[in-house]
Amino acid sequence: MLNANKIVAALEDQGVTHIVGVPDNGSRALFERLWEHPQIEVILTSREGEAYSLASGLYLGGATPLVLIQNTGFFEAGDGFRGTAYNMGIPLVMLVGYRGYKTMEPGAPRVDTAATFFEPTLKAWNIPYTAMHGDEDIGQITTAFAKAKETSLPTAVLIVPETA
Amino acid sequence: MLDKYSCLKKLAAKRTDEVVVTTMSVAMPWAELSDSPLDFAHVESAMGHAADFALGLAIAQPKRRVFVINGDGSTLMCLGTLVTIAQRPAPNLTMIITENGTYEVTGNQPVPGADRIDYEQICRGAGIENVSTISSEAEFDAKLDQHFSGDGPQVFIWKIEKASEPVPKPKLPIRERAHRLRKALVAE
Repeated sequence: MLNANKIVAALEDQGVTHIVGVPDNGSRALFERLWEHPQIEVILTSREGEAYSLASGLYLGGATPLVLIQNTGFFEAGDGFRGTAYNMGIPLVMLVGYRGYKTMEPGAPRVDTAATFFEPTLKAWNIPYTAMHGDEDIGQITTAFAKAKETSLPTAVLIVPETA
Repeated sequence: MLDKYSCLKKLAAKRTDEVVVTTMSVAMPWAELSDSPLDFAHVESAMGHAADFALGLAIAQPKRRVFVINGDGSTLMCLGTLVTIAQRPAPNLTMIITENGTYEVTGNQPVPGADRIDYEQICRGAGIENVSTISSEAEFDAKLDQHFSGDGPQVFIWKIEKASEPVPKPKLPIRERAHRLRKALVAE
């Protein structure tokens, strides 16, 4: 489990103003904390592709958005990601839930392609990424913001276990 | 039916400090009327994602009116955005849907459902209350001011004549256009 309160604190440290995305089981607790947050606004989109374009507009208007989606939605969002955040050079950090991670372990009864396609796609789309396996990795969020700012390009942090 | 070029000319003549996001068949005609850093041609970008992009701008810039001029084909590519716009209403967002039932820049192929879709009904069904369909120049002239001052999110559906447009090619690459817009909006 990842401590949702610690993730929220990391987002506060980075001055995040808006969370844009679609909830999933892994991010459920994080969304619940964020909905209660007095300064950070959560904006739900109908589909994940919208999250990148909406967040790009927010950034160009002076806000500090963060995209929060699951890997399944990340695949759907391909053109939205490519055509807005990537092409526009937006230093956008995204937290992406890693559905199916455990199904890649040896002996798992079935493999979830949402997991097996995920990291190869991140690499193909030229997205730098790190993963949070436990609370000790939550500092990766800070590193991702620095990387995004340095490159003026989107950067991903993967949410491996569920938030709680 | 409306003449797209005449409508754009009237809109440009009244425009002052509003952000104007344009898409496929409007981008180049608008560029002939305006070269403001507050213009953003949403081309070489993500198909169907201009309205959600404009919503982000409108939320971040609540004191400034943001226009998005979308085609009917572009609107169809991401209909869920109408729901997103309704569930996070931005009072300063004006969306225009130019409807003529064709993809103008790819050779006037019909868009899905051309001549059967009721965009006003779709917008209202998505939860957007302030929606107008405009079919004549007289109606357009009567509603022009409302484009700038009406309570958003508001949608105007312009029933326009069929036309052909070349593939839009803005002067600047999209990255430069984006950062020009940010510079105009945000004191850094």
